Amino acid sequence: MFLIRRGLALSSPGFLLILLLGAVPLTVILVWSFWTWDPATYWIQPTLSLDAYAAIGDAGRWSVIVGSFGKAFLAAFFCLLVGYPSAMAIHFVATPRWSFVLMAAFTIPFFTSYLIRAFSWRLVLGRTGMVNNFLMQIGLIDEPLDWLLFSDFAVMIGLIASYLPFVIFPLLLSLRKVEPNFLAASQDLGAGFLRTLFTIIIPLTKPGIFAGFLFVFIMAAGSSTEVQMLGGAGAPMISIMINDVMRVVNFPLAFAISAVVIVALFTIVLAGNRVFGLTKMFEDFK
Amino acid sequence: MTIGFENRTVRVVIGFLTAAALVVVYLPPLYLVGVSFNPALQPALPSLGDLSVKWYVELANERGLLAALRESLLIATATTVISVSVALAAALAYLELGKLRNAWFLLVLMPMFVPGLIQGLALSVILNRWQVVPFWGTVAMGHLLWALPFAFTVILTSMVSVRRSYLLAAADLGASWWQRVTQIILPLIIPGIVGGVIFSFLLSLNEFARSSYLVGRQNTLPLVLFGKMNSGASPTIYALSGLILMASVLAVALFMYLSARRKRA
Amino acid sequence: MNRLQSHLHGSLGRRQMLKLTASGIAGLAASSVLPAAAAEAGGNVAFWGTGTLDIGNDWQRAMESAGLDISFSDNGNDPGPIVARLVAGNANAIYDVSGVQGGAEKELATQGAVVPWDTGKIANWDKVWSWAKDIPFLTVDGNQIGLPCVVNADSIIYRKDKLGVVDSYGVIFDPKLKGRVAMEDAWINSAIFTAMYLKESENAPIVEPGNLTEDELGLVMEFLIKHKRDGQFRTFWSGWEQGVQLVADEEVDAMTGWEPIVLEGQKRGLDVAYAAPVEGYEGWGNNLLLHRGAVERGLGDAAHEFANWIYSGFYGANLSQSRGYVVPSDNNVAYAEANPGEFDPAAVRKTVDHVRNKFSGKVYWQNTRPDNFQLYEEWWQKLRNS
Repeated sequence: MFLIRRGLALSSPGFLLILLLGAVPLTVILVWSFWTWDPATYWIQPTLSLDAYAAIGDAGRWSVIVGSFGKAFLAAFFCLLVGYPSAMAIHFVATPRWSFVLMAAFTIPFFTSYLIRAFSWRLVLGRTGMVNNFLMQIGLIDEPLDWLLFSDFAVMIGLIASYLPFVIFPLLLSLRKVEPNFLAASQDLGAGFLRTLFTIIIPLTKPGIFAGFLFVFIMAAGSSTEVQMLGGAGAPMISIMINDVMRVVNFPLAFAISAVVIVALFTIVLAGNRVFGLTKMFEDFK
Repeated sequence: MTIGFENRTVRVVIGFLTAAALVVVYLPPLYLVGVSFNPALQPALPSLGDLSVKWYVELANERGLLAALRESLLIATATTVISVSVALAAALAYLELGKLRNAWFLLVLMPMFVPGLIQGLALSVILNRWQVVPFWGTVAMGHLLWALPFAFTVILTSMVSVRRSYLLAAADLGASWWQRVTQIILPLIIPGIVGGVIFSFLLSLNEFARSSYLVGRQNTLPLVLFGKMNSGASPTIYALSGLILMASVLAVALFMYLSARRKRA
Repeated sequence: MNRLQSHLHGSLGRRQMLKLTASGIAGLAASSVLPAAAAEAGGNVAFWGTGTLDIGNDWQRAMESAGLDISFSDNGNDPGPIVARLVAGNANAIYDVSGVQGGAEKELATQGAVVPWDTGKIANWDKVWSWAKDIPFLTVDGNQIGLPCVVNADSIIYRKDKLGVVDSYGVIFDPKLKGRVAMEDAWINSAIFTAMYLKESENAPIVEPGNLTEDELGLVMEFLIKHKRDGQFRTFWSGWEQGVQLVADEEVDAMTGWEPIVLEGQKRGLDVAYAAPVEGYEGWGNNLLLHRGAVERGLGDAAHEFANWIYSGFYGANLSQSRGYVVPSDNNVAYAEANPGEFDPAAVRKTVDHVRNKFSGKVYWQNTRPDNFQLYEEWWQKLRNS
């Protein structure tokens, strides 16, 4: 009982913050999503309707939501794939000094504007860009590769470069749980590196893997700059779609899309929670 | 080096992948640093003979850019201090909440799922209703909610290294809750707090969508950069990026030098 | 809105009428070219405008000549969020005057976010070109909602070294240039350009390219979708830096876009040119809007002083030299001629004449809010998904 009371006291600042700054505006979103757009006043009327939700079925808006989740999933997956070895290098291989240098090295670029970083990929990947120039100079290609830029490839590169540290940090934190004597025991029992990796290191770092995946997935699902600057002609993405809808001040539709996105993302997290016991991963104290 | 990682192949593969990751992360900012020393208008790498600090000199006259940088640093600092403190309390609450844990975890995570543009707009509608005149604080309010779940999750992840047995032993020895927090939990989760600070600061510094509806008269740096890129900027925007990058490198180097000296002393 | 309107007009008391008459007479004496005369009322005006309207440190000049402390904030140039912030958000609480692409005036006035200007209080209004005053959207129900701040006419940026002389939007849809052309990532510009091409060169049944009916819009968008599916477009661009980069780095050979990009390209040593298409130009106006909040804060008069200062010559001469943009008034050239040390009168005149010439031919007006604007968005989404 005493424990719970202290828990409530400790949770109150966060609770108040989320209530005032999060839940109250969310209510606006929900209420307005059921209102009606009125062309006469250019504004919304408090007439209840499901028109906005029906409109998500039109113009392929559903496919944008699904497609964005797909892109976000891939980005999170690739970030883990690239970030995991880097986290291992920092944690297991490097000396303390070098691990600090590496950690700093992975953080510093993110102090510069992501807007300008995304833009500079256009300069690097373009027809006259660094990569094409290099490939032509070494004689690997005769004509610049068009698909390097304004393609899904470019978008993926842009997303990975934008969100990589968001997987590395949680991974580093959870790697601290992998104690050297576990690895020694594994080695003594004759397990090779890959076996140790898959039976000891990865299972023990599940919280970090989950946290990192979630961070990148959420941020990539909400991104627009990378897709807008690096994707093909008019490439769709949830945030771009919401922006388009806001451009014609159709608030019910923008908010209905948001409501659907919030519910979908939450369902994915809850389902993940069910299947992988995600929240349990944070409570396995020994 | 840790046991199991002495294997040459393992080290080479991990080293190679890490180097590849660094290349991907550094290609754009380093390219920009190169561009920022090119006196030409066209953003491209300069030839060695052409290196010039022209845009850095002109940066001093860009009052608008510098004011925006100040504003963004202020907002990022406020966001970081508040969100990390609240996240720390929320994470400690998580330890105490027993069966309510999962609900609490999901509640704190909730704001993460709201699209930035929509969160900014909805919050600005509410603040407008409450007659709050927008200023840097209203931007920080928007950023706070975005940074909080990240800081919370990172701190929580680092709490995995807090063993229940440590806390029980301390309690048996008569340590109060406060002593347990300050003497056991906090030292163990310092890396998580540092991570939370870095994330909150970076998220706030670079946030665009949440800021655009909440700013007061002084635009934040991402908004000003966006505006400049859209309306014809001189390469001073690249000089600013280069400057921020170099300042960050210097700060890290200084920190390392100082901590190395302290160790020797 | 009516209440506010009467409030505004009611505040036009006797004293101000006298002042107005006085400044009107002064205006006749071309005092507008002489700075000091206007320095009277003053005030701190927050101008929330498109980034290209910013003159940076030179806003100081409004203080010196008119006692106006102008603080400029970039509004991002996207009419959607601007309207949203003015109507539902907080823009009215912090900014006094907007500079926005024309079209949404009716909507903003209907919602009461902006209030009419009183042109009688703007001495230099006489000097504004009459055809600029006749731009559609500026007046709503007989009230002057928008004041034309900058006008220009857009067409195609192209690589002359590769394509020779281009004189039609057909180049954008030419299969020979597949994957080497671009359009803007906004229906506001791309739909009208396509409609102009279909109307003028393919005899499509389109009446007003800037305000398409449902059927016309379907026709235009199906055409765009077909070409997008064929891989015609390298990308859709948005914003200056992206536009310049596409041209400068040889990503595209032709694209619809803004004339300053051509000037920038030439400055960077490229052989780029701006087309004078047979189908005509897309004309646009960036208009000053008076916020309801400004009047409520008692800044109505200061806002009018500010508008007057915009037309007084210095600002126009400055913009024409720095960006090639033209404030539709004779005062720009007059100011440059009176102050040859500050601006090159010949250059200012050349820019002004160039823009004016573009408007002497066929021009269709950009409209950020066509009657069917919700449908435009729906079609644009279909285009994205195709």
